[in-house]
Amino acid sequence: MQATVLWVSVAAIAIVAAVFFVVIRSTTASASAQSVAKSAGTIRQILFWGSLAGGAALLYVTLTPWPHALPGEADDPIVVTVTGSQWSWEIDTPEIPAGRPIVFAVTSTDVNHGVGLYDGNYRLLNQAQGMPGWTNRFQYTFTEPGTYRLLCLEYCGLAHHEMIGEITVTSSAANLN
Amino acid sequence: MAAQAQAAPSDLGPRVVMALAGLVFVLLMLFGLLMRASQAGMLPLEPTLFYQLMTAHGIGMVGTCGFAGVGVMWYFVRQYAPVTTGIFWAFVGLFLVGVVLILAAIFLMGFAAGWTFLYPLPAQSGGVWSANATVVYLTGLLLVGVAFLILHLDMGWAILKAYGGLGRALAWPTLFRGAGNPPPPAIVAATAVTIVNTIALVPGAAIILISIVNTLVPDFGIDALLAKNMIYFFGHVFINATIYMAIIGVYEIVPRYTGRPWKTTRVFAFAWTATLLMVMAVYPHHLFQDIVMPPWTLVMGQVLSYLSGIPVLVVTTIGLLASLYGARVRWDLPLALLTLGVFGWAAGVLPAIIDGIIVVNKVFHNTMWVPGHFHFYLLLGMVAMVWGFMLWLTGTRQSATLGGLANVLFWVYVAGGLGIVATMMAAGAASVPRRWAEHMPQWQAVDVISTGFAVLAVLGALYFLLRYVAGFGGKPVKAEAAE
Repeated sequence: MQATVLWVSVAAIAIVAAVFFVVIRSTTASASAQSVAKSAGTIRQILFWGSLAGGAALLYVTLTPWPHALPGEADDPIVVTVTGSQWSWEIDTPEIPAGRPIVFAVTSTDVNHGVGLYDGNYRLLNQAQGMPGWTNRFQYTFTEPGTYRLLCLEYCGLAHHEMIGEITVTSSAANLN
Repeated sequence: MAAQAQAAPSDLGPRVVMALAGLVFVLLMLFGLLMRASQAGMLPLEPTLFYQLMTAHGIGMVGTCGFAGVGVMWYFVRQYAPVTTGIFWAFVGLFLVGVVLILAAIFLMGFAAGWTFLYPLPAQSGGVWSANATVVYLTGLLLVGVAFLILHLDMGWAILKAYGGLGRALAWPTLFRGAGNPPPPAIVAATAVTIVNTIALVPGAAIILISIVNTLVPDFGIDALLAKNMIYFFGHVFINATIYMAIIGVYEIVPRYTGRPWKTTRVFAFAWTATLLMVMAVYPHHLFQDIVMPPWTLVMGQVLSYLSGIPVLVVTTIGLLASLYGARVRWDLPLALLTLGVFGWAAGVLPAIIDGIIVVNKVFHNTMWVPGHFHFYLLLGMVAMVWGFMLWLTGTRQSATLGGLANVLFWVYVAGGLGIVATMMAAGAASVPRRWAEHMPQWQAVDVISTGFAVLAVLGALYFLLRYVAGFGGKPVKAEAAE
């Protein structure tokens, strides 16, 4: 996901840069203001309606299924409660099995925190805010056993960057035993 | 309808404001450079100092963008509407008093809750800063907010007097009935800014006051989610309004180079009315990971996040490109910077829009991707427009064409800016969190490169500032067509 987003962004920015480059190069020659305005109007219309159509498609693709959907009871999820306090995480179930949906229930005892779920290579897998008085829930199903980390993603004061928790994901078979 | 330019008050106020803003921009860019060098491990700072610098950099840049934006907007609006010079100076005075309090709270009293002062962090510092520090910081912020409020109220009143109604000033007769003689683009944009900022400053001031009371009387508190909504509504509108203020400089100055007037058309009026409405409703895109928010608000955030990019790209960007295409302009530093500013805005909104998709946001929110995209449309966008305006304003004392040192330093600034945003975006794609005083060793190679680019950006900015100061008494550039 991250690499795709990066390269799509770079490509989109490069297109805008290329258009600016072409227009800036054109300023050494003369063109009729009237004809330029007419062409600009046409381009504007294409871009406007194209953006709306593209946006509608993007909306459908990215919102179905609902990105924050949680597993149902039939999926037999395990709920892991994560509570943030300046500056540590309390994780009620630090060892969990691969292969079963995990619902992380995130809250805080003091200020706003943010749980970022990271894999062993420090790649962000999912996240939610931890707020005092509220519990945000997100789900993740681990496919690989190993050590995963919870990094704080909402600035919470002096030791914000030291707020790192750990969970161990065991293989499904090991857990069944 | 007062469509013609009137005898405008002196431009000393905007000139002073731009000088102060330019100076602060360079200083705060140095803070940014220090933070990147620290994250890179090249110049490690104590976390206490890092987070103080981070708070100062954030609130300083947001406030100074607003301050400079007012300088640009007021300079042009005073030519069309009877704004009050005394109110402008009161704005400057109150703003500066607020800044002194904010700086004292941060660097003398240790306040470091970040520019967003996210409730209840200001009152719960974990023993790092005192309640007094929080009260001084928030009082300073409140004064800055009051400064903007009185400025906007005066400007709104002046626009009402000159155009007979906010609807007329937004060119609604042109939009809905195709009526002729609409107000100039500067007035349409200034009216939109006045409306949205006045509305946004109210909940902004309210949450500041609530935070002050909460600091002094901890038993008095409000819901953290409500507080977050208020802060992001205010913050989102305010920072976007700074760009809308600066773009007025593009509307007014570029036609003087191209000879093609920037007119208020039906499309233009539609774009600004749409922007006015969307900028106030889009803020839930900052709250995608506050999953308890009603789902419809998050859907609205995603939809409007996408839609709000369209007026930028379809109206202002194409308007600029159509103004320039085949116009045989003589390029100089102001025009180059104004053009860069629109490019930075147009290109910078793209990664922002992509981050405004909930499934993407799940793995990009609060990573370095976020400063990556906002530095794109601020450092290379809004701030570039401000430099362009400043150098146009004092341009007669400077060389007429873009050559020599000016050319070199322009490209140094561009390279520095692009390098900063590219390395931040790459770090974001590699899941590096934002606002971390210390980075893990595997993240620091990119930080080192980013620090190098930050040096370039500072050098470019310093050059623009020095040129502005050297030409302070000069008159605005009278552009000539290229031969």
